[in-house]
Amino acid sequence: MDELLNDFLAETSEHLEAAATQLVMFETDPSNAAIVSSIFRLVHTIKGTCGFLGLTRLEALTHAAEAVIGRLRDGRAATPEMVSLILAAVDRIKLILTSIEADAAEPPGDDAALIGELEAQLDAVEFGEAAEAARLEPMLASAPIPFAAPATPSTGDVAKRSETIRVDVSSLERIMVLVSELVLTRNQLLEIHRRKEDEAVKAPMQRLSSLTSDLQDSVMRARMQPLSRLFSRLPRLIRELAVETRKKLTLVIDGGETELDRQLIEVVRDPLTHILRNAADHGIELPAERLAAGKPEAGTVRISASHEAGYIAVSIADDGRGLDIERIKDKALARGLVAAADVDDLQPEQVYRFIFLPEFSTAAVVTSISGRGVGLDVVRENIETIGGSINVTSTLGKGTSFNLKIPLTLAIAPSLIVEAGQQRFALPQQSVVEAIGLGEGSSHRVEHVQGAMVLRLREAVVPLVDLHDTFGLPRDAARARLAVVMRFGALSFAVLVDSVADVQEIVVKPLGASLAHLSMFSGHTILGDGSVVLILDPVGLARSHGLTQSLELGVQHIPERFIPPREQTRLVLFRAGGGALKVVPLSLISRIESATGAIGVSDGMLVMQHRGFLMPLLTLNGGGTVEDAADHPVLVLGIGGESVGLVVDEILDIVEDFLDIEIASGSPGVIGSARIARDVVEVIDTSHFVKLARPDALARGIVSRFSVLLVDDRLFFRDMLAPLLAAAGYRVTTAQSGRDALFLLSQGAVFHAIVTDTDMPDMDGYSLTREIKRDPRNANLPVIALAANTAPIIGEAAAASGMCGVVGKFDRAALIAMLRDNLDVQTLGPHGLEERIIREFAA
Amino acid sequence: MSVPRPADRPRAAPTVEIVDRRCFTVVSAGRTYGLPVEHIHTVFEMTAVTPVPLAPPAVLGLINLRGKIVTAVSLRRRLRADASEPDGSRIAVGIDYRNENFALVVDEVGDVLTLEKAAAIAMPPHLGAEGVPIEAVYRLEGLILPILDLEWVLTFGKERS
Repeated sequence: MDELLNDFLAETSEHLEAAATQLVMFETDPSNAAIVSSIFRLVHTIKGTCGFLGLTRLEALTHAAEAVIGRLRDGRAATPEMVSLILAAVDRIKLILTSIEADAAEPPGDDAALIGELEAQLDAVEFGEAAEAARLEPMLASAPIPFAAPATPSTGDVAKRSETIRVDVSSLERIMVLVSELVLTRNQLLEIHRRKEDEAVKAPMQRLSSLTSDLQDSVMRARMQPLSRLFSRLPRLIRELAVETRKKLTLVIDGGETELDRQLIEVVRDPLTHILRNAADHGIELPAERLAAGKPEAGTVRISASHEAGYIAVSIADDGRGLDIERIKDKALARGLVAAADVDDLQPEQVYRFIFLPEFSTAAVVTSISGRGVGLDVVRENIETIGGSINVTSTLGKGTSFNLKIPLTLAIAPSLIVEAGQQRFALPQQSVVEAIGLGEGSSHRVEHVQGAMVLRLREAVVPLVDLHDTFGLPRDAARARLAVVMRFGALSFAVLVDSVADVQEIVVKPLGASLAHLSMFSGHTILGDGSVVLILDPVGLARSHGLTQSLELGVQHIPERFIPPREQTRLVLFRAGGGALKVVPLSLISRIESATGAIGVSDGMLVMQHRGFLMPLLTLNGGGTVEDAADHPVLVLGIGGESVGLVVDEILDIVEDFLDIEIASGSPGVIGSARIARDVVEVIDTSHFVKLARPDALARGIVSRFSVLLVDDRLFFRDMLAPLLAAAGYRVTTAQSGRDALFLLSQGAVFHAIVTDTDMPDMDGYSLTREIKRDPRNANLPVIALAANTAPIIGEAAAASGMCGVVGKFDRAALIAMLRDNLDVQTLGPHGLEERIIREFAA
Repeated sequence: MSVPRPADRPRAAPTVEIVDRRCFTVVSAGRTYGLPVEHIHTVFEMTAVTPVPLAPPAVLGLINLRGKIVTAVSLRRRLRADASEPDGSRIAVGIDYRNENFALVVDEVGDVLTLEKAAAIAMPPHLGAEGVPIEAVYRLEGLILPILDLEWVLTFGKERS
């Protein structure tokens, strides 16, 4: 039977059941407004749906009945005749429904007599109001055929239906809760039994245990629903999308019988719909394009579901144009999500992850179907909230496939019970890859890099999160230590614990509202021994240590990295400030001196004589005394004629190696960790030390040219002005709308000036400026307006919204002059510095 | 473990008059306070407490109260707003508030009192000085009883840890 019809029947019979008592009350108290309107709604709903399903007989009947009930609802007094007619109509509706259930079609015959009587009632109530009757006239002509009771159910479908009952979801939930409690109690008993074995109890104990497991399983199964419930709506959606997009679409569904917890089915509904819309809108090409590409005219979207170990895999694959990896890279670059230096190193998998970021759409045209703000980021979030994951694979020209992994159920999760600082925590096993012993003789090493720990795991270096530090737990040196390695999408990290105590199935309970802000815990549970443990949330844990961001967003923090990628870099390898070895690119060091003799303290800062000038001296951990620095090597960072000395303990070597930052750093003064030869080293961020010693120098943009954001909705102007600005020595980022510009700023992008078109759809340049200026940090950020002309009124509007000036769009010279004037305010010294930096860049 | 107490009976008696109110008295750091009786359902002695790292200081931890996980809150720390204040008491008042289960840890529990409206006195101006909002004050025999504002008691800063 048609899935829609089936749903309709199930829903309607549910409604009718609910209305049964109301009908009885209606009989005794027909003037009760609440009851009348509830019956009205019931009939109205049925009428609406059966029109849609093409059930004409039912439609005519409900229409007539609705009209009469409508009169009552409007306050007409009910007569006994009306009441019994309405009840008769409801009975007839039920009969017809039963018959539809049996034969999947309306029974023959019509209800003209009944409808006639209903109409007559209407007429009696409202003199001469017979508009409806006229419409139904033809039906009156045929002889009234009494309704024949349906024959015994004949189809297998019906037989199946008779064996199912609809159970209120809440009672199912209640059973689930009880079973969960039962599981806990069973575990408690088992625990006691384990400590105090008693032969007499042993057999019944085992029986109880297996029965409980079976019960748990059965209840879980009862909550399961086939995915076809979800899939049944999709063909319709595809039809609609085909019309809207003027494409030919075929939908193939596989594995609809796969079952999933009903709670999860609801959560998956929206993401699935969204991905399908995306596939139809962006994935599949127009018929002509497809033919030109040698593909069949009709695009195919294949949805398949299957049961994997412990989870459900759902994939939505289209045979469309595939993701354009270069375009995604460009967009990511424009958004400042990844440094230009890194972009070519990204694996396709990493590039595709960008499309799951907020407001990251590569669609050129925003259609009514997708591209309305609700993006794949929401999809990913929905899936991840339920402990699932999503990834995308794609072949240009061949198609795209979104792959979802969804846990079977939310309620019960197999977990590792770990111990740290004498406290136990549950760690969902789903994300655990392995546990690695770190005791004596372990081949895996923990290294301290830039104040954080990393684990050398075979070929990889993974960040290590110490639960003791994170939670301020006492450390027991005697305990064996374990690193539990977790994987989360593309992110791996390890959690350092004392030991793994147990593996248990736990019933996840959410934290109360007053603790829900602790993002590192996803909930709590009661263990077999009755104690309460907190459940660690790997995502929250990673996020609070700044791990997910850097991996998900490519490179999150904007500070410049002037390390050339993928070519060997000459590096100074040195020891300083304890911890791992440090490196600095040799190109940034102008000389290596020795701090001999002429060291002094001036203005609270260590200084030494260097080529007739005083040079500030810094140690890696800041401060330091004359004694600390004496006779130590000093790396002289030459920055535009101003030097800063970095005191180190020992210079070990100058090496030439590939410099790949494996872990970006959050701590100041360190860019990140890299592997040089066989050592994990910290790459020093020289700009940090320059900033400390020569704050003015940094304000001038030591490490970069001035950065200008160009906002214009028209590509023509962006393409015209961006090279112009670049040629004038500015680093240019473009944005095509005010919203994009604000997004860049919100992501922490730093600009020294903003040049914006005034007249843009959505958000004009004035509003954008006001929005930017709302942030007090941007008070001195020059914003220059680009206008078609420079009429006085434009100047006034610009000044009122906080802009520093207006230039005509075609007046290149004025634009450059205004930029220079405004940026020179920030400049304290000559431009020689910038020129030198540019030369260094070019070199 | 549950200690039979007058409060351990069903919720507010149906006979409560609008003008009078019933409250449950507790002692914390030598002072007696009243708690509105409506939200209190049990008094018990805590056994194992699981500390919650990074939680607000007033939260002592989580406990298993007959299969339910409840958040144990130290009234002593809450009143003093002092994170380091030790709270060795094991006596807790089970409170259901805002759909959340709490165990308010106090030094001693008293009785359920019916407070007549006539006994209400004007709030002494210096009473809120410690930053502890008091809902009302009643004059009883030999005792001035401040009624604590549960909303305040069970709303603790989330920013500190």
